[in-house]
Amino acid sequence: MAAVQVSEAEKVYIMHGVRDDLRLDGRGCEDYRHMEIETDVVSNTDGSAKISLGHTDVLVGVKAEIGKPKAMVPDEGYLEFFVDCSANATPEFEGRGGEELGVELSNTLYKVFNNRQSVDLRSLCICPGENCWVLYVDVLLLQCDGNLFDAISIAIKAALFNTRIPKVHISEDEEGVKEIELSDDPYDCMRLNVENVPCIVTLCKIGHRHVVDATLQEKACSVASLLISVTHRGTVTCVRKMGGGSLDPESIFEMTEAGKRVGKALHAPLMELLQKEESLGKKRQKVGFLG
Amino acid sequence: MLKSKTFVKKTRSGGVLKIVREHYLRDDIWCGSEVCKECKDEAPVLQEHACIESDLCSYPHYLIPDTNVLLHQIDILVDPLIRNVIILQTVLQEVRHRSAPVYKRIKDAIHEKEKHFYTFTNEHHRETFIEREQGESANDRNDRAIRVAAKWYTDHLAKKTNGGSLKVVLLTDDRANKEKAEQDGLIVYRCEEYIKSLIGNPELMDRLALQPDDQNEITGSKLLFPEHLPLSRIQSGIKNGMYLQGTFHANRDNYLEGKVFINREGEEINEVLLQGLQNLNRAVHQDVVAVELFPKERWVAPSSVVLQDDSPNDEDADEDETENNVNPIRSFDYSSVLKPTGRVVGVIKRNWRPFCGMLSQSMIKEATRHLFTPADRRIPRIRIETRQAANLVGQRIMVAIDGWPKNSRYPNGHFVKNLGSAGDKETETEVLLLEHDVPHQPFSQAVLSFLPQMPWSITEEDLKVRADLRHLCVCSVDPPGCTDIDDTLHCRELENGNLEVGVHIADVSHFIRPGNALDQEAASRGTTVYLCGKRIDMVPELLSSNLCSLRTSTLRLAFSCIWEMNHNAEIIKAHFTKSIINSKASLTYAEAQMRIDDSNMNDDITKSLRGLNRLAKILKSRRIAKGALTLSSPEVRFHIDSETHDPIDMQSKELKETNSMVEEFMLLANISVAQKIYDEFSECALLRKHPSPPPSNYDILIKAAKSRDLNILTDSAKALADSLNNATVENFPYFNTLLRILATRCMMQAVYFCSGMDSDFHHYGLASPIYTHFTSPIRRYADIIVHRLLAVAINADSTYPDLMDKHKQTALCNNLNYRHKMAQYAQRASVAFHTQLFFKNKGIINEEGFILFVRKNAIIILIPKFGLEGAVFFDHKDKPSPRLSFDSEGPTLKVEEHTFRMFDKVKVTISLDASNIQHQRIRMALVEPVIPGVSVPVPESEPEAKKPKLDC
Repeated sequence: MAAVQVSEAEKVYIMHGVRDDLRLDGRGCEDYRHMEIETDVVSNTDGSAKISLGHTDVLVGVKAEIGKPKAMVPDEGYLEFFVDCSANATPEFEGRGGEELGVELSNTLYKVFNNRQSVDLRSLCICPGENCWVLYVDVLLLQCDGNLFDAISIAIKAALFNTRIPKVHISEDEEGVKEIELSDDPYDCMRLNVENVPCIVTLCKIGHRHVVDATLQEKACSVASLLISVTHRGTVTCVRKMGGGSLDPESIFEMTEAGKRVGKALHAPLMELLQKEESLGKKRQKVGFLG
Repeated sequence: MLKSKTFVKKTRSGGVLKIVREHYLRDDIWCGSEVCKECKDEAPVLQEHACIESDLCSYPHYLIPDTNVLLHQIDILVDPLIRNVIILQTVLQEVRHRSAPVYKRIKDAIHEKEKHFYTFTNEHHRETFIEREQGESANDRNDRAIRVAAKWYTDHLAKKTNGGSLKVVLLTDDRANKEKAEQDGLIVYRCEEYIKSLIGNPELMDRLALQPDDQNEITGSKLLFPEHLPLSRIQSGIKNGMYLQGTFHANRDNYLEGKVFINREGEEINEVLLQGLQNLNRAVHQDVVAVELFPKERWVAPSSVVLQDDSPNDEDADEDETENNVNPIRSFDYSSVLKPTGRVVGVIKRNWRPFCGMLSQSMIKEATRHLFTPADRRIPRIRIETRQAANLVGQRIMVAIDGWPKNSRYPNGHFVKNLGSAGDKETETEVLLLEHDVPHQPFSQAVLSFLPQMPWSITEEDLKVRADLRHLCVCSVDPPGCTDIDDTLHCRELENGNLEVGVHIADVSHFIRPGNALDQEAASRGTTVYLCGKRIDMVPELLSSNLCSLRTSTLRLAFSCIWEMNHNAEIIKAHFTKSIINSKASLTYAEAQMRIDDSNMNDDITKSLRGLNRLAKILKSRRIAKGALTLSSPEVRFHIDSETHDPIDMQSKELKETNSMVEEFMLLANISVAQKIYDEFSECALLRKHPSPPPSNYDILIKAAKSRDLNILTDSAKALADSLNNATVENFPYFNTLLRILATRCMMQAVYFCSGMDSDFHHYGLASPIYTHFTSPIRRYADIIVHRLLAVAINADSTYPDLMDKHKQTALCNNLNYRHKMAQYAQRASVAFHTQLFFKNKGIINEEGFILFVRKNAIIILIPKFGLEGAVFFDHKDKPSPRLSFDSEGPTLKVEEHTFRMFDKVKVTISLDASNIQHQRIRMALVEPVIPGVSVPVPESEPEAKKPKLDC
């Protein structure tokens, strides 16, 4: 992952700051950087969102396509993830440089989102065993400035909130041949329930304390971090330890508690924001990529 | 300004695609009015004084029709009276989507300067573009777009004229739309309302298409027909094989019967019989319909009754009665002839065109609803509304169908135009050209611009590349009065004792270059159509009667086919070349015959003719030995009065030896060329084939021969030809001709095709393995293509892509086949009409004839003297029918005590029934044999009311 070089003295400075709950940019340990979200930014997707967190920029697009449900769960649709690490984000991603990171990120996203606790997969079913909606979630990293997981997860939640799947109607003739019919009204579409979609909170262990939304410098001071996905109720749905260092059980507990707290606090304003944006409807001035 | 249009679409593989299109809005779209100074329109279309006198709108106004008004009332909108109309882009797009013919007509109207029609691109105008809103259907959105545009115009013009008098009027028949428009403060009328208000133009009213609202008033609420299925169900039904798709063909002789030809390959059933109004279910001739097959036990045999829909006007009541008349006939069916039977469940595509015909005036004098009887008997009668019925009686008119509601016995339509008075030669010719879809407008300027400049002469260039055959003694032999001479012949002895025979065909492809307007027009016309006393040319007259016509003592370009033959007419060498010839004589068949017969004449031309004649006889006998058929169809010639152009006499065409001489060499040339172009271009040679008929076609012929104890073999063309030759009956010389006429009716149609798309090339009638048309390029387009192919084959001309494209050629062949068929029908119709004219002048005539067919309630009689065919009916409505018993094995028909067999000699009276001016008919009534109560006495009394028919 994109990293910066930090000298020993800088490290000490950062660690001491964290100990006193004061970070380089003036935040406290459990504060996020300034965050901007805009949805419906790519017109030819079914749902999209762009998020900037500090200087981290992520674009997420959701495309709904009709596919065949998996044999084990005939009455559910599913999600597919693909993370594209654009060379725009950092020169390291050039060529196949971003591939490894992309796979790692998308594997995590599968674990976090592609289950029926997070997304109501049953609502994606069109005809059990025959057809279901497959949501292709494409993540594009535009700029990396730390804390990719959190940014991506928030963007995905916003994009899923924004997703409108065209309503289909199954007609069956006397022979039992099923045909999918499409409503001709473009406004006639289905929304996803994103209430239970979790957000990822990454906590970095720095010294004896931990911080959320670590910048690249802070990340360089940390040996281990914990990735926790939290729903709006504060339920932890997934935990993953990252980095080479070790964490003792006590601090894992502490970090989980902190993650629950932060995550819970993250959902409410996010949903509020999304609903507010939607209520503006067509009159909303679009910012897009040049704003 | 950029907007995007988003919509979802289903892909073929069943996926769903979201499509986003960019949509640009502009502010430089002008209103198109002369009044407006702000819009920088250089040539405004809409006039300042837009005056249509109307009771409703006394001020100058522009009209804005909505989509449905445009679609249904196009006949009114294209009237010269209606001017200054704004056609919105929304409307135009919708029309384009829904009806190509209407779209074409409105486009033509827009291009017409005097009409002052203006297209306003409201969809791209910044102020009139609207986006579809939530919960709004596409139609509602379009209606709103129309209202917004109308509103914009209203405000725009009010501003420009300082609240002046110029206004816009929205025309819509949609009630909801009208209400909303009124709320928006627009001036809005229903189309009917508006047209009614026009001062001094009552005939426009008649052209109003009926709206569904009105139809309810016309007929009772009784449902006469089953509902048509929606298209989606039809489509899925066709997919799973429950329904069959095909083209509906109404029966010419029986309005209660029709057939659907299934045009899908691999289907074992290719023809479905439909009987009864309910099962026909409002299908009109040529419609593409979906049919449901009945189970086998409900299959029936085609009835052979002749039924015409002559029920009295306006009434739907006599329905049951008509049905009852059919039932007894239906009851005696023979299981062997049962045909797959079904019913129409829905119409996939209507193929309605404007129909020519006449008005049957309503019994009630003041009534405005009348029935219209089309000239084509396969088209049902159409109910129209008109207030000028009195003026239209006796006139040939054109009517378009608007719709056929399920509770109406007849389709509803409206008056389109008046063609002229019936019986008038001009009018009738126009009618039959229109009815047979023969393009007969004068050639356009674009077409004429491709003609060579006059005076035209042969250039040095031509001399260089062409063989100089000016010295040869070529001559042409044609019917008298022929001005488009496209073939000449020559024959001379060579030094080695062999004969050189040449066929020289006018080099039309030299003048008509591929792809230009002249070529396209000729390709579309396909053939020259010869009517009695009129010719509709395929190419402009300058070519057909002058530059391409191989006249005497004139240098002309030709395409020559030259053979070296021995005296047994065996070809030793064939050679094709473009050439220059100088015809030494243009002879008629009679003149040529005289020269050959006159032993005193020994000039080059006569010697050449004798040589040709001798070879032709050998060729003919060889051809017949191979099994070529000599068939017969009665052809007639009219002697036309030079002043009045009325026929004064008619006689069957007489064939001379020279006719067959020319024919023989044309066949030889065609076959040689066919072989040559096929060898050269095996994939894209244009050939002509004549498929052998299915054995069942011969049933009637075999039965007929059997009735005279003769045996006709039909296993091969040769067997047929031989058995026809042997089939003679003593004291009945005409019998053989009758048999041949019958055999002709059993044949299939010869067709053009592209060699790459077919494997069967055989020409059955000529007993030739390969055949094409090469010898008449002036009057047939197929020959032009063959000329081009041959020219490429001998390196005399360059090729072009379409010539080598077998799909394009197949499409061309289809058009040519269609045009040829139609030309033939038009020709027959023209003869029929002239026959009527002839009998009109003659009064009642007694004549001998022969029974050609026996039907369940009629016999069809051929009068050899006139080549005239007609029916004598034995049942009619107003009188009790005589006892009839029909035996289809014979076939024989027993009327009272007398049994009619095929080929029986009868005597009939022929007269023209002019009492019913609507349909002038040749009437035939039986004189001999005498059957009490059926036959008529010999004297010139008015024949009994029979409904004879004239086969056309």
